Amino acid sequence: MTNPVTSLVIFGIVVFLLFLIFYPKNGIYWRVKRSLEDDTKTLIEDILKKLYHAEDNGNNLNSNDIINSLNSNPKKVLETIAEMKNKELISFENGDIRLNELGMDYALRIIRVHRLWEKYLSEKTGFDKKDWHEIAEKMEHQIDSNQAKELAIDLGNPRFDPHGDPIPTETGEIEPINGKPLPAFSEGTIGRIIHIEDEPEIIYKQILAEDLHIGSHVHIIENNKKRIIFHSEGEEFILAPIVANNLTISELQKEDISEEAIFRLSNLKENEQAKIIGISRECRGETRRRLLDLGFVINTKIEVDLISPMRNPRAYLVRDTSIAIRNEQAKFILIEKIKNHAKSNI
Amino acid sequence: MKTNKILNTSNDLRWQIGEGFHDKLTEGIYSDAATIAQNSVQKKGDEKRFRFDRSLDKIVTSKIWGFPIMILILSVVLWLTIIGANYPSGLLADLLIGTVYPWLKSIGESLGFSWWLSGFLFDGVYLALAWVIAVMLPPMAIFFPLFTLLEDFGYLPRVAFNLDHLLKKSGAHGKQALTMSMGFGCNAAGVIATRIIDSPRERLIAIITNNFSLCNGRWPTQILIASIFIGALVPENFAGAVSTLAVISIALLGIFFTFMVSLFLSKTMLKGEVSSFTLELPPYRPPRFWKTIYTSLIDRTLIVLWRACVFAAPAGAVIWLISNIAIGDSNIANWLIVHLDGFGLLLGLNGVILLAYIVAIPANEIVIPTILMLTVMTASITGVGSGDGVMFELESVSATGDILKAGGWTLLTAINLMLFSLLHNPCSTTIYTIYKETKSIKWTTVASILPIILGFIVCFIVAQVWRIMV
Amino acid sequence: MQKVTSSACEGCDLNKASNLKKLGINIDNNNYVVALAGNPNTGKSTVFNALTGLKQHTGNWPGKTVTRAEGGYSYNDKKYKLVDLPGTYSLLSTSQDEEVARNFILFGKPDVTIIVVDASRLERNLNLVLQILEITDKAVLCLNLMDEAKRLQIDIDDRTLARDLGIPVVPTSARSKEGIPELLQTVHQVATGEIKCKPHRIKNIPKNINNAIEKLRLEIETEYPNVPNSRWIALRLLDGDERIIEAVKTGEFITE
Repeated sequence: MTNPVTSLVIFGIVVFLLFLIFYPKNGIYWRVKRSLEDDTKTLIEDILKKLYHAEDNGNNLNSNDIINSLNSNPKKVLETIAEMKNKELISFENGDIRLNELGMDYALRIIRVHRLWEKYLSEKTGFDKKDWHEIAEKMEHQIDSNQAKELAIDLGNPRFDPHGDPIPTETGEIEPINGKPLPAFSEGTIGRIIHIEDEPEIIYKQILAEDLHIGSHVHIIENNKKRIIFHSEGEEFILAPIVANNLTISELQKEDISEEAIFRLSNLKENEQAKIIGISRECRGETRRRLLDLGFVINTKIEVDLISPMRNPRAYLVRDTSIAIRNEQAKFILIEKIKNHAKSNI
Repeated sequence: MKTNKILNTSNDLRWQIGEGFHDKLTEGIYSDAATIAQNSVQKKGDEKRFRFDRSLDKIVTSKIWGFPIMILILSVVLWLTIIGANYPSGLLADLLIGTVYPWLKSIGESLGFSWWLSGFLFDGVYLALAWVIAVMLPPMAIFFPLFTLLEDFGYLPRVAFNLDHLLKKSGAHGKQALTMSMGFGCNAAGVIATRIIDSPRERLIAIITNNFSLCNGRWPTQILIASIFIGALVPENFAGAVSTLAVISIALLGIFFTFMVSLFLSKTMLKGEVSSFTLELPPYRPPRFWKTIYTSLIDRTLIVLWRACVFAAPAGAVIWLISNIAIGDSNIANWLIVHLDGFGLLLGLNGVILLAYIVAIPANEIVIPTILMLTVMTASITGVGSGDGVMFELESVSATGDILKAGGWTLLTAINLMLFSLLHNPCSTTIYTIYKETKSIKWTTVASILPIILGFIVCFIVAQVWRIMV
Repeated sequence: MQKVTSSACEGCDLNKASNLKKLGINIDNNNYVVALAGNPNTGKSTVFNALTGLKQHTGNWPGKTVTRAEGGYSYNDKKYKLVDLPGTYSLLSTSQDEEVARNFILFGKPDVTIIVVDASRLERNLNLVLQILEITDKAVLCLNLMDEAKRLQIDIDDRTLARDLGIPVVPTSARSKEGIPELLQTVHQVATGEIKCKPHRIKNIPKNINNAIEKLRLEIETEYPNVPNSRWIALRLLDGDERIIEAVKTGEFITE
């Protein structure tokens, strides 16, 4: 029989090797696969996207900026830029690279696929919000315009992606976002979140951790260089300006809304009664449909029925039936509390 | 091309309406419903729900009583099943194996069956069937009706409600608590029960991990091996308690693996599957006792038993054949055992056990009889058993232990057998059921392969560490 | 068994039989096919058992019956095949059991659909009822669990309800078999055409959506004049229901 120590060591080595090879993202297998796939087409498309976003923000990029912002071999990048110039996708202006009309069309096509795919992921799959961007980054190079068209039809020709970014049409038209970054508004403003930027990832993760929802109303309480405080759906949020900058807000007319009355269902206490005023746009796909089908629709009276031993999930009495949902879902259901003194005595 | 015209119009209109069509439609339907209901419904009572319902709900979902009540009920159900099944199982075994079997053999003889025909039919096919029925029928006939009574009363949704938070941590659904409990009865039934989980991702998790619930077919194996090898480690007074504890630990280990594997699956393979959670807590309704018992026997017990029999009969034939078809100066079984032995020993098991698990895929119930028969055959023990290919079990636990020890079993073999009995591929009935429920070869394969790989790894590590330490 | 087709309607019966066969239902010698639909926890399976005398298990769980159960009974010398559909809250989503129920009512075209509702929670149950009434106009409402409603002191005026919904309403307590004879009779009357239904159509839909539905409905009707539930198909197309889009492509729902 083999010596137990030897066999354990061999086993350990095999596990370690498998780990090295298949470790998510950085394993040897994935790297080799990526380097084999990393062809010129992907690189061209990535450069076009960089240029588009820079121009959209009013910045100019030169070849060095592009080399620095991409994770590829500099020599390859320079070669690719030269090739793009030959194909008349781009031109040089005082050392800066500009998109030609052809390049602009191409860039919009890629962005269209990216945003459509994010929309698809949000509506039809169970992938987590934080994974959408990365998956869409891969898919945008793999889908041609015919497939994109079919995808768009399947999704009902959406105009916006789940972050609130407009999806370019087939002909390359793109709707503008009518809003400004959150820090640009003064204290006391009431507005609505219309866009949440998902890049860079570090800041996006902070926004996700705060659990801010697109479409939510916000009431700015404090706004200075150090921090921004605002109220939204019965909760208070404190953000650093750099994080708040990635939230786009459109101002609401004062008479449009009585913002103070909106709460999330997760805030409803026992013995309180409320009326549903809607489901957040952040709640999508099958989950949203299921909630609607179960009667979580506008103007429905609702109260807490039972709380599970670990306080989550909670069961609510909706249309004479006790339905349990998790607090994570209850956050998406917006309510207006009904003041009822007689009830609070029970 | 007229259909295209319709589809084109609908696509254009969808673009014009924008999002929120589904919302608006549902709101419309519900507001129609409200108008109609207002016209015809008159509520005199002020009570929204029965007083009894509410107070009972407050207790069974309360912070203090929620969990103890649940554990108590599950323990009572399992205890009734294991203890209650002992006696009828013995009776059935006496009848089918002690009485009917010799009778069949003698009929065969009087009809002039050749030895191989009688061996194949009675020693192979019949014995396997008899064993499966004797071991499987009584516990299921107790477990399923009890479970169904709880289900009909309406208690089970409350269990899902209580446990959801714990299960959510590993990416699973509260209702998985119930499919797991059902799995303690029978994994195939547990897999069918996952139909109650309406979220696709969580349902797949529940299906794939159901095998980690120690089923009725495996409890007897665990109890037997634990009392032979582990109970013997301590003074006789404590033997019973210690071996019971060992079996419970294995069951708990199964629950631990359920959580770990659920977590692993939800983070990797099942990441993109759609997931949604809602749970209706229906009003309590008194179950109609006899009707429930009758229907659960028909619906669950007999269907599962039938499927098991369909798979067990050919397995019995295979067991008999490999022990009786000669190659060279030995038979197939011996040849296989010799070749499997090296790998078996590496895992702290042996060739006999591996072969027994291969041929006993149809039902865990026949693993022990197969192991005993093969051990006697390979170790050339005389005086016990009834010949090659004839499965048997012994009345006396210590005699069984003697055979196994003569076959080279140590404490390590026993512990690893208990682990392997928990962590190996589902029985073929369950595999078939998984395929029926998922309609996917991919998930069926994952559900079948994953536990056995885990079993190999766990047994291997335990064996090596054991050999270093001891 | 095969007779020479003497009228146009014989042909349509054959066509329907083949459509049902595709859904796994063999109508054999039955005169009528009846579907049993309803929310979970409304005692639907109890009604099924009361009608057929079969002993199907009735769990107190949403979504117990994922596969369809079938049974049969005779009434007034006519043979009925009863198909128990999975209990669902709605027919608008894409879950497996909802699809089974929806496809059966839409493509299987049962002669009568019995919709079982919980009398004590009528308003919530009407969501499904109104959706079914968009698909089929031969339906009977089985107002079940009347005993429970009585205990909760809920009074239901079943005549008003029948008038509002445009279909016959039968109050029952299936556990004690109360109302089952009346249900059998009403189903018979609807199946034979003695009672004509004029089902309620969903009204509270925003104008822009309603206009879109009407536009699409007209288009479907001009192309396929015989489709009885063009409005429902329009609704589903606008919601992007892949199964219905597929059915429009293949022309599956046109089986007249």
